[in-house]
Amino acid sequence: MNTKILLEHLYIVFASVIVSIAAGLPLGVMASLYRPLRKPILWISELLQTVPALALLGLVMLVVGAGKTTVIIGLLLYSLLPIVHNTYLGLETIDQGIKRAARGMGMSRLDRLFSVELPLSFPMIFTGIRIATVTSVGIAVFATSVGGGGLGSIINQGIRTQNMKLILSGTLTLMAMAVIFDGVMALIEKRLNKRVSA
Amino acid sequence: MIRFEEVVKKYGDAVILDQISFEIKEGEFAVLIGPSGCGKTTTLKTINRLIEPEAGRIYVEGKDIMDANPVQLRRKIGYVIQEIGLFPNMTVAQNIAVVPKRLKYSKEEIEQITRDLLDMVNMSYEEYAHKYPSELSGGQQQRIGVLRALAASPPIVLMDEPFGALDPMTRNVLQDEIIRLHKKLKKTIVFVTHDMDEALKLADTIIFMDQGKIVQMAGPDEMLENPASDLIKQFMGKRLSENGVNSLTAADFMKSHPASAYRSDGVKKSTQIMARRQIDTLLIKNEDETYAGSVTIGNIRKFGKQAQTIGEIPVTPNAVSYTKDDAADSFEKLLDSDSDFVVVLHDNDTIAGIVTKTSMARAMADALWGDES
Amino acid sequence: MTFFDLYGQKIITAIGVHFLYVLISVSIGFVVALVLGILLSRVPRMARFVLPLISIFQTIPGVVFIGVLFLYLGMKPVTVITALAIYAMFPILKNTYVGLMEVDASLIEAARGCGMSPLERLFEVELPLAVPSIIGGLRMSTVYTVSWAVLASMIGLGGLGEFIYIGIATNNNALIVAGAVPAAVMAVVLSLLIDLFKRRSVRKAGV
Repeated sequence: MNTKILLEHLYIVFASVIVSIAAGLPLGVMASLYRPLRKPILWISELLQTVPALALLGLVMLVVGAGKTTVIIGLLLYSLLPIVHNTYLGLETIDQGIKRAARGMGMSRLDRLFSVELPLSFPMIFTGIRIATVTSVGIAVFATSVGGGGLGSIINQGIRTQNMKLILSGTLTLMAMAVIFDGVMALIEKRLNKRVSA
Repeated sequence: MIRFEEVVKKYGDAVILDQISFEIKEGEFAVLIGPSGCGKTTTLKTINRLIEPEAGRIYVEGKDIMDANPVQLRRKIGYVIQEIGLFPNMTVAQNIAVVPKRLKYSKEEIEQITRDLLDMVNMSYEEYAHKYPSELSGGQQQRIGVLRALAASPPIVLMDEPFGALDPMTRNVLQDEIIRLHKKLKKTIVFVTHDMDEALKLADTIIFMDQGKIVQMAGPDEMLENPASDLIKQFMGKRLSENGVNSLTAADFMKSHPASAYRSDGVKKSTQIMARRQIDTLLIKNEDETYAGSVTIGNIRKFGKQAQTIGEIPVTPNAVSYTKDDAADSFEKLLDSDSDFVVVLHDNDTIAGIVTKTSMARAMADALWGDES
Repeated sequence: MTFFDLYGQKIITAIGVHFLYVLISVSIGFVVALVLGILLSRVPRMARFVLPLISIFQTIPGVVFIGVLFLYLGMKPVTVITALAIYAMFPILKNTYVGLMEVDASLIEAARGCGMSPLERLFEVELPLAVPSIIGGLRMSTVYTVSWAVLASMIGLGGLGEFIYIGIATNNNALIVAGAVPAAVMAVVLSLLIDLFKRRSVRKAGV
């Protein structure tokens, strides 16, 4: 097993999740703050996830060209839905009493958002990030098809050369990665939830 | 009709039913009551075998229910639960038809039954039969829940706190309806509740349970007169103390939270309060909450133009009682004075309530016949 | 000659093949998953380790299913369909189980109290109430399957993936678009159709 390929896969996943957060969080906040934007934002992020992954990567490649950037942009578009959706939901489900109290104390709209509402909805947002991360691990298999490398290259090579060992090593690594990310992040999620509900 | 012989139910080490035996006669309205965890609901659910006992026998219409197929048995016993449990995927008519359909009634028969039943609770077939439960109010849903239980005219109907989740007004109306249905249809009804008022109102026989045992089984009058234990006395609560009218105080008869205003309140605000509550006299308080007197609408008309605050308008003195005073005193004051009410004060001279002829009549009716008003 | 004269017929055939893969494998996956989901809901104790197992299986990328089956079954449509059907099963199985378990306990008690047999209870109360959840799973499965069916071409079995793969390999943008856009549209349209169906079934259930 090649460490370089493993790191490549991890890099693609991390980079795309970080960009997704950077893009998804503001979009989710916007969907919650501005009524007219709500439907288009939620609808477009849902639409993007419906598009087959390889097709999406192919289309991005038309614009950006082959390489890791294509993969990261593709995964960003794919990961948008859980992050946008959960940010929006998290903000929407904050207790009305807390919102009113914050307003009553004379906090400005932005102040309220950053010191009360976002911190309170963070566990929910984190769930979105977890879903995005685990999905990205799987989708990043396609990276190899658009010149992005990663574990997909091992699996593809295994299939081409009919090498079961190679396929299995690629797949098991991938599964382990997904399960570990999911488990660790679920654990963090549990602690976050405990803190907010306390 | 229903006979329990030494029935025992355990969950692990906990004994839920401790060798209980009793009999409910045909056409009887039996109410199981007791503190939570006393086994009343378990008793009910053993009758249609939703729960099966470890020992003892239960006979329905003379037959041991353990010999019957549970599914067939349940089709002959109506069942109503607190959560209502109407199937949200079926219309009102489909819900009512659940059991008749299984007993292979014809379509025409089922429709006729549905019409008749809806008619009995004054819901029109045309309007309601094809609605889904989510389109009905809570009270309407539970009416349908009861009708569903009655649809195949089972000789026995089991009801597990059926009105517990309804608001008091709806509960009252449904209680009246169930009394009417019972008189008309002559079913044997077994009804679980934790509300003694409900039990006294509905029951022919009350079965009081505690810790898996039957403490007393008696008619409502007998239980009121000779409660068998302190716990039953506690359940009867208020009613027993009201049996001796002499011990009653003004507080028992007053209407609390009467409309009032501070002396410093504006005249306009005060008249608005009076208009909203539809009263012609307003109680006035000093700033330290003590009672100052009352102002009539007549005096407001006469002096209101010059006055800024309600305190500037002359007050009318009223007859006054204290909460702990004997109720009889307040009645005398009420009947003697020209005023329509007697003001009841706490010991520190703040307002507790007023005794009016209406509040007095209501409390008397309460004491005599229960909270039916 | 324009692009369409050259590829028009081929694209239409590819769309048809792609759609058939999706239709057949989702149908098979749906039936199997529904049955398994119902059985699992009868023994919730087993679900405690079956469901996490399914979640782990779901992390296996579709490529692997197709790749491994290809090694054993060879280059046949049945390889693709089997792989896709297995993959399509997971969301439906999970949602069927969850939908059935979420049916309110009081409704189950009411159904028992009304003298419904276990089967009647399942078909007249539990399944109808789980329909929205089951259809939600069906929608997920369908969208995934459209996506993974792209891989059929990886083992030379046609479908829209052929255009995407060749397009990417030869840097032919028109071919990528010719494969990607119909695949995207198919996924979106199917998902919208299922959503529509779900909304109607929910309204009918009055829940």
